[in-house]
Amino acid sequence: MTVGTHSGRRHDVPPTGTAGPGRAGPRGRRFDLLPYALVTPLALFILALALVPAGVTIVQSFFRVDELDPPTRFNGLANFRDLFADGAIRSSLVNTGLYVVIGVLLSTVLGIVMAVTLQRPFRGRSILIAVLILPWALPGVVEGLVWTGIWDANIGLLNSVLTSTHLISHYQVFLGQHRFLTILAIELVQVWQMTPLSTLLILASLQNIPSELYEAAVLDGCTPWQALRRITLPLARPGIAIAMVQAVIATLNVFDQPYVLNGSADTGASLTMQTYFISFQNLDFGEGYALSLLITVATLILSLGVVKLVYRQVEF
Amino acid sequence: MPRRRPWVRTLGILFIVLWSLVPLYWTLNTSLQTDAQISAKPAHYLPPSPTLSNYHALLSGAGEIPDTIRRSSINIVVECTAATIVTVVLATLAAYAFARMRFRGRNLLFYAVLATMAFPAYTTLIPLYRIMSLFGLVNTYTGIVLVYVSGFLPLATWILHSYMTSLPIAIEEAGQVDGASRMQILWRIVLPLAWPGIVSTAIITFLFAWAQFLFPLVLSSDLSTQPLTVAIAALQGRHTVPFGLLNAAGVLALAVPAVIAVALNRFIVNGLLSGSVK
Repeated sequence: MTVGTHSGRRHDVPPTGTAGPGRAGPRGRRFDLLPYALVTPLALFILALALVPAGVTIVQSFFRVDELDPPTRFNGLANFRDLFADGAIRSSLVNTGLYVVIGVLLSTVLGIVMAVTLQRPFRGRSILIAVLILPWALPGVVEGLVWTGIWDANIGLLNSVLTSTHLISHYQVFLGQHRFLTILAIELVQVWQMTPLSTLLILASLQNIPSELYEAAVLDGCTPWQALRRITLPLARPGIAIAMVQAVIATLNVFDQPYVLNGSADTGASLTMQTYFISFQNLDFGEGYALSLLITVATLILSLGVVKLVYRQVEF
Repeated sequence: MPRRRPWVRTLGILFIVLWSLVPLYWTLNTSLQTDAQISAKPAHYLPPSPTLSNYHALLSGAGEIPDTIRRSSINIVVECTAATIVTVVLATLAAYAFARMRFRGRNLLFYAVLATMAFPAYTTLIPLYRIMSLFGLVNTYTGIVLVYVSGFLPLATWILHSYMTSLPIAIEEAGQVDGASRMQILWRIVLPLAWPGIVSTAIITFLFAWAQFLFPLVLSSDLSTQPLTVAIAALQGRHTVPFGLLNAAGVLALAVPAVIAVALNRFIVNGLLSGSVK
């Protein structure tokens, strides 16, 4: 949901300076306190609980901050060196890379498929949209529990179906043994949660495509497949870009699903989980700050990269 | 539009329905069985003798697990409701000022608010914990609600600002001509017109708050403030809690957002789209 600034027409230039009611109030040119009174609570929250903490993360990642062993003091890049020397962190870096690649690709492809399904009106479409957004609305932790019921080695739905259909001869362990399989199974749960929003974002782009384009395509003898590749996909690029950015942010910061489905095991631990372990189990806040900062910088760079690569201004 | 073969869309519709509902069905199915039935191989695809015993045990039973679930259910409702009310009130006031008034520093503040949305929420996890612990707000409703409000205010302000700038200004100007004060205009004219945007914002904020896990995990170490999400993860992490009971707790945690999402999906879709693409 943090993608508001990347596109837009109408509201992109935020406060447009509309001469609203009360601008020339009865008090004439006296200093106008009311707008400040209205925005002060927001400003205090943003300053105290967003900007200051973000600043603390940046500054203190270069400090030694250990609750059990004060005092705090500057130690340059030592936190970052410690991070890269730590095998568990390196392993989580690989895991997180896999989460991002699998999650962004799958949620985008599924989002396109679902958005194209919903592109034209049909009876029951609004009900289908209600069904579609359901997984988006649910807590990731509980979705982890829901999918435990599918992946579980003893009572899981997948094992039951696969053995009933004789695709496997006996129950298998899907989570926690083979790294790639574990990560795929965990990431599928996150994809389940993210795809509704991807679909809606892409669908919003599709609704802007003028139907004359498709009518012209019919006259030119286009097949549906060609129309999809030559008209729909290129013109959906703004929506696809925003959908991919939200997926990058979500996957790079994944926590709930691996934490619940696979615990702290190396086969699935993400970087955000390591931040949690370092800070709140080892109480090494300095190193935790450093890792937070690296994840944030990676998120910003990857998001910008996706926008540069995929986003195109579309004019009709 | 070139006619796709009708079965292509039918296939797409079928996929969306199965994809969204099968996992949820499976949790519901599990929650309605006894533990002996749950461990059958192959699994029962329908509950052989549907029983509410798991729900009964959670809601009216005695013992540590039912107590945990009941207390954390109260906590999550209190925290989400409080965070939603505070967020929507503050965002409405600020969005009105941003949309309709001129003042020094307006653009700077507006962009600062938007900029915070570009950062992943967990950037501020550790400092927020340390701030809350400095002020003795760990393990308090206040601490959790403050953190939620700070996290959800930017998006709420953005959605409401989009909504208010899209309202026709002529009615407000008429109100001004009639001598109404700006707060009267906000209360009597803007709020009644903006209520769909306010409802969208409230629903989205509530759902986000309900879904929180890592922040309350860090900010509440005991049952006095732990929300249902944290309690369920802790119970699952023990590996000894009966799966039927766990799934019944899961259904309780899913029911509230699921009902909201299905019943009010129009508001959610509009809110999300005005918050991200328009």
